[in-house]
Amino acid sequence: MLESPSHSDDDLLRLISKGHEPAFVQFYRKHQRAVYRFALHMSGKTEIAEEVTQEVFMTVIGVAKQYDSKRGSAASYLYGITRNFVLRSLERERPYATALDDADNDHGASLASGHDLLSELTRNQQVESLRKAVLALPPAYREVVVLCDLNEMDYAQAAEALGCAIGTIRSRLHRARALLMEKMRAAERCAV
Amino acid sequence: MNADERELLDGLQALSSDAPYQAPAYVEDRLLTEFRRRSKLRRARAWMSAASVGAVAATIAVLLWIGPLAPRHAASPADATAMADETTAGFYPLPDAEALPPVESAMVVRVQMPMASLELIGFPINQDRASDRVEAEVLLGQDGLARGVRLVE
Repeated sequence: MLESPSHSDDDLLRLISKGHEPAFVQFYRKHQRAVYRFALHMSGKTEIAEEVTQEVFMTVIGVAKQYDSKRGSAASYLYGITRNFVLRSLERERPYATALDDADNDHGASLASGHDLLSELTRNQQVESLRKAVLALPPAYREVVVLCDLNEMDYAQAAEALGCAIGTIRSRLHRARALLMEKMRAAERCAV
Repeated sequence: MNADERELLDGLQALSSDAPYQAPAYVEDRLLTEFRRRSKLRRARAWMSAASVGAVAATIAVLLWIGPLAPRHAASPADATAMADETTAGFYPLPDAEALPPVESAMVVRVQMPMASLELIGFPINQDRASDRVEAEVLLGQDGLARGVRLVE
């Protein structure tokens, strides 16, 4: 029944609510990457991203029947759930900003590992510094950067995912980028 | 867009492409295990509900067929409890049965059920034979809802 990849999310969620395993597998494989990457960029920790991904799809298994496509796309439905779990995890991890340089903040380490070319070192340092700057943004700004700049959503999709107006996304993104540029300049001054 | 903004967007692009692309495989494995567990539970509940409804319907049909019975002496609450305890002995309680009212008068229905359903109430089963059917007795309360099950030897 699910050999065709053209099943809509509505169909898949309806089948999931009836216990159809191939539908769940297809739905998971279609959306897990976006969920995982959002959680990873928002938290900076792979263990939180994995835990959140698991909790999000566990929730889908439990409440797939309640999904109503009239209230928004499945992607924004998933982002809504993911966002709640991520914010809950961040609350637990408070004070978050002080944890940025902790040894267990393994995302940067895993990204840097394996890159032993000297020419990439500077680039890696810049990426690492930018990653820390993104993680230090307030959550409301961080999520628009993650959605629009890191997950390549357009404003309309991000607005639907976050349940706010397109104008809000635009202004938050503008402010978030300004904050990031400030942080990057400050980091450069410290390095000099 | 000025040079700083361009540099920032390039940096964000690099950050995006550096991140791992997907959750590790064990997350999917765990989710599938949970999905299967919940599906089994859902099927077992549906089956038990159907069995309960069928049994109640059969009882009503039998009662209508044999006509009204002669009145017997009214049992005291103590008699009813003792009778229910005696009747429910040997049955494995079903999930959620504890939330139902206590059994005052019971009825036992013999049915065939999939072995996979037995696993949910703690019977160890051979997974190779999970789809086989076994004969079992289902204990129904006065409300027609299933309270327990036991295997027929």
